Amino acid sequence: MLIRGYSIVAEVILKNITKKFGDDAALDDVNMIIPNGSFVVLLGPTGAGKTTTLRMVSGLDKPDTGDVLIGGQSMAGLAPAQRNVAMVFQQYSLYPHLTVRENLAFPLKSPLLKTPEAEIERKIKEVSEVLQISHKLDNKATALSGGEMQRVSIGRALVRNPTIFLMDEPLSSLDAKLRADLRIELKRIQAKSGATLLYVTHDQIEAMTMATHVGVLEHGKLVQFGTPREIYENPVSIYSASRLGQPRINLLPATVFGGAPHRAAQIGLRPEQIVQGEGEESFVKRVEHLGDQTRLHLSFKNHNLITVTDAHTKLAEGDIVKIRPEKPFYFDHAGIRVA
Amino acid sequence: MSPTHFERAAEATPPMLAKKIRGLSDRAIAWIFVAPTIFLLLAINIFPLIWTIRLSFTNFRVNRPNAEVQFVGLDNYRRILSDSDIWLTMQTTAHFLIWTILLQVLIGFSLAYLINKKFRGNDLWTTIIVFPMMLSPAVVGNFWTFLYQPQIGLFNYVVGFLTHTDPSSFSMIGDVNLAPWAIVIVDTWMWTPFVMLICLAGLRSIPGSIYEAAECDRASKWRQFWTITLPMVLPFLMLAVLFRGIENFKMFDLVVQLTGGGPGSITELTSINLKREAFEKWRTGYSSAYAVILFVTVFGLASIYVKALNKVKER
Repeated sequence: MLIRGYSIVAEVILKNITKKFGDDAALDDVNMIIPNGSFVVLLGPTGAGKTTTLRMVSGLDKPDTGDVLIGGQSMAGLAPAQRNVAMVFQQYSLYPHLTVRENLAFPLKSPLLKTPEAEIERKIKEVSEVLQISHKLDNKATALSGGEMQRVSIGRALVRNPTIFLMDEPLSSLDAKLRADLRIELKRIQAKSGATLLYVTHDQIEAMTMATHVGVLEHGKLVQFGTPREIYENPVSIYSASRLGQPRINLLPATVFGGAPHRAAQIGLRPEQIVQGEGEESFVKRVEHLGDQTRLHLSFKNHNLITVTDAHTKLAEGDIVKIRPEKPFYFDHAGIRVA
Repeated sequence: MSPTHFERAAEATPPMLAKKIRGLSDRAIAWIFVAPTIFLLLAINIFPLIWTIRLSFTNFRVNRPNAEVQFVGLDNYRRILSDSDIWLTMQTTAHFLIWTILLQVLIGFSLAYLINKKFRGNDLWTTIIVFPMMLSPAVVGNFWTFLYQPQIGLFNYVVGFLTHTDPSSFSMIGDVNLAPWAIVIVDTWMWTPFVMLICLAGLRSIPGSIYEAAECDRASKWRQFWTITLPMVLPFLMLAVLFRGIENFKMFDLVVQLTGGGPGSITELTSINLKREAFEKWRTGYSSAYAVILFVTVFGLASIYVKALNKVKER
């Protein structure tokens, strides 16, 4: 087993964290509880404050106001080493003059740990096998491809037993196959060891498959926090709803279907919220056969819609399909969910 | 049969491009471009070198151009290598080299390390520190003779003030024991900024995120310095040492202005000694042999050093 069971209680709490860079608020009064043993994924576009949140927890940056608590203790004024956090950087940040083996051994050789030589050797072997870099152990860190560097960078975190793993888009530069492998592997490691992870990504598949909790960040504010299912099925706003779901949620003026509640400005329809074969007529503009499913691009009262249908559908461009909303979301003018 | 890719490419190439430019082949044009450089190189580097080697086997004296030139074999080399005075100047040069490099590396790296810390006005400090390097060595040598002046010199005053001794009780340039240190101090004052600049370039080439990773990996500042900063600056530092080493091996102007090789010949570096042999005593053949020996020494040492440097870079 890669990481031994955790005895450290590592519930991480972010309390009223605000951080400004100049006049821009990178984080605006963020409150979050990361339960012990959870896999929390932060979602949001570039500049939403995801990386800043990681840096607050790691101690690399200090919040202007607010506090980070790990295991019930305030981390104010504590350096990253004292917090015992492991971080995977987006830009890898490997030690370029060292070999892969030396990079992986680096955190274990900290005088705070005093790991025996044999133990270091064993951990490096385990981690490098999981990450498929065993054959590169004696290469210099600079003589690796981007994907290999990223795996070494993940490995450098995995050899440790930190209170929390902080990962900043760790799978972003891997190819599709490896990314799928490591997604499963990371989830397996986390589930088995009970490690706590705070994970930043753009990729909603990573969020849906690995997370026990998802935090949605918008302009430095945590707008929603919950299980991936909750966020998918019960979004608080258009912004939240748009983070998850492939194809994306369809947004139309609330009045096109009728029956909209008072205050509603827009109706939000995920593919499964569109019933086909009943209701009003729409016009098929394009049919995309993706193999396991087929996407329908529809035109409904001059509004575009994308939905999913049977993989072996007989529908073709120019056909007419009747559609009806089923338990749709309604949003007001500000994009806040009203029903 | 359909045409191959090559045939189609040949067909598509306009005839103008295929034709030689005014009857010259590509190779001939290349030679025309390179020829002036090769000529200059031969005329001012290679030819004098070969001529010097030739002269080093003769008793030729340039102030007696009409005297008969005799071939003396390895006689000049034998005389130089068994001359204890020349070994003394070699010793002086070695002393000068080792101490200037040691001091310049220590002080230069420390300064670079401090300047690299982000603080207000560090650009201004860099400019101020780099100032001595921009002066002419002859000027520096000249004004340090004033600083070293026992009665009015600022250097003597400060040392006297700090050690509670009489400033005029010692003379950096006049004293046989102090003069070797006098030239070391001035060279260090002048060229430490150069080492600092190169070290600074090395320090600035280390991305900040590597230190952040090391912070998270729980490495102390001390360990960060020894395992990240120093190994990553080392190639730069070694390059600075190479430059300073070669420069100081042929040091001439600064020391001539400052001490003129004196008192006696206590600060007479090999290049000053060589100049005396060649252009005061006019022993041209003899000094040619001397120059060849120095050249082989520098070239040999530098080659070994560059090999070591490349090994460090590959690490």
